[in-house]
Amino acid sequence: MKATQRPGRKAALPEGGPLQKAGSAEQADERALVEAAQTDPAKFGALYEMHFERVYAFIASRVRDRATAEDVTSDVFHKALANLTRFEWRGVSFAAWLLRIAANAVVDQAKRVAREFPSPEDPAELVADPGLRPSELRAIENHARLFRLVGQLPEAQRQVVHQRFVDQRSIREIAGRLGKTEGAIKQLQLRALERLRAQMESGHA
Amino acid sequence: MPKRPLSEQVDEAVQAMLVSLRPRPERDPSPSLAVLVPIAQVLRDLPRESFRIALKSDLQRRTSMNEAVAPSPERSLHYMRPGFTSITPYILVAGGTRFVEFLKAAFNGVERLRVPAPDGTIMHAEVAVGNGMIELGDANDQYPATPVTLHHYVDDADATYTRALQAGATSIYPPTDDHPSGDRWGAIQDQFGNRWYIATPKGWTPGPKGLRSIQPYLHLRDAHKMIPFLESAFSAEALGVHKSPEGHVLHATIRIGNATLEIDEAHGEFQPMPCYLHIYVPDTDALYAQALRAGATSVEAPTNKPYGDRAAGVKDPFGNSWFIATYLGK
Repeated sequence: MKATQRPGRKAALPEGGPLQKAGSAEQADERALVEAAQTDPAKFGALYEMHFERVYAFIASRVRDRATAEDVTSDVFHKALANLTRFEWRGVSFAAWLLRIAANAVVDQAKRVAREFPSPEDPAELVADPGLRPSELRAIENHARLFRLVGQLPEAQRQVVHQRFVDQRSIREIAGRLGKTEGAIKQLQLRALERLRAQMESGHA
Repeated sequence: MPKRPLSEQVDEAVQAMLVSLRPRPERDPSPSLAVLVPIAQVLRDLPRESFRIALKSDLQRRTSMNEAVAPSPERSLHYMRPGFTSITPYILVAGGTRFVEFLKAAFNGVERLRVPAPDGTIMHAEVAVGNGMIELGDANDQYPATPVTLHHYVDDADATYTRALQAGATSIYPPTDDHPSGDRWGAIQDQFGNRWYIATPKGWTPGPKGLRSIQPYLHLRDAHKMIPFLESAFSAEALGVHKSPEGHVLHATIRIGNATLEIDEAHGEFQPMPCYLHIYVPDTDALYAQALRAGATSVEAPTNKPYGDRAAGVKDPFGNSWFIATYLGK
């Protein structure tokens, strides 16, 4: 567990984190998980746990609303499960394979909407190549890590974050539901953000 | 002015962020604020836990039972219908078909849905305008026309203003830069009696995930009483309230879920126009009961609708009607 802040940390990260070339010990583990799931699809759950935040973060950053993000995410994992036996380990990580499915699913979804409801203002990017730049991959990895860190917050902070940002509830309503004062909820919100920020900074995942 | 606690400053930034508004510039900003804002921004995309769990069990069921590709019916859904935000104006209009044509010509509206009535009028239609939505139906004897006032945020207020006039609207005043909001701001009235404030916001960006293109604007008598009502009835949150020395609301932005509406004290030719508003909420039954406790009157108790929503209706003390809905899936 490292708590030091190294300014050069970003530059030291391999481009795209675990999304590029296979080789590390972590990826050897992942490879074992993939092969296990290829033999026994019931073991797909472990891969889902490992990659859910990454896939969701990617899709949420590219679609307009939460309902669409959920539809497309669901679609991607169903497709991945259906095509799992076709995945071959040729230097491309499983995460990169999932994100390629996700990128295609996002474009398909946008095309479906554009076909159904053609608009003079449809941006050209709907049909553009979804290729991921290293900076985008880093952003996705960071978002996914933040989402996982929320799950590790102290319970009261975690509840406030979910009710505020996911359920979009007002401070007053959250206070009523949790039986605390509005000031206490604002404090919990602040503590949660500070803790998440500190953990993101320290690289402690 | 004494420095406000960091928790207050952060909360104001979060409030604004939930609806993609720019927070009020801090008079004496804490340096700690700036580093927390990017974290809060990403949290807007935080996945729902219930979705994460439902999808996992969905996938597991499929692997264990070798089910077909169709997702299971128990899959939990987000409470908003795709394409909708938390607040959508519902306009009853004489000449629905012509109104849809106007929305297309003036505002690049995109018709998303049209349900015709047997006599050829529009029973229900949905037209996307920018990143917002307008719902409409033809007025009849039972349900007379209810024109509304809407705030329409665009990239170029002058161009949109001109197009609206070409599409048949009349000018109330052309876009100017001297509006108190600082936005470039003009106003028109369409042939159907609706009023549109057309504005180019300064300091934040309209866009697919940005500021809502369509915001209902309610001119109210005793507008200050609307704020506590909306807070207690619909769990709304006031984002910015500007009052005159006499206590009149000059302008207030009110958030419900991920969208906003604006209110002010009725004045001059801008008098109350009671209207219909459609809000998506996580739990229709709970919010319906909450609204009645806050002083709303019932129009319709919650029921499951054939189009896949659970919905109810209430009227507020100012005469506006609210459709409260939760998306249940198709």
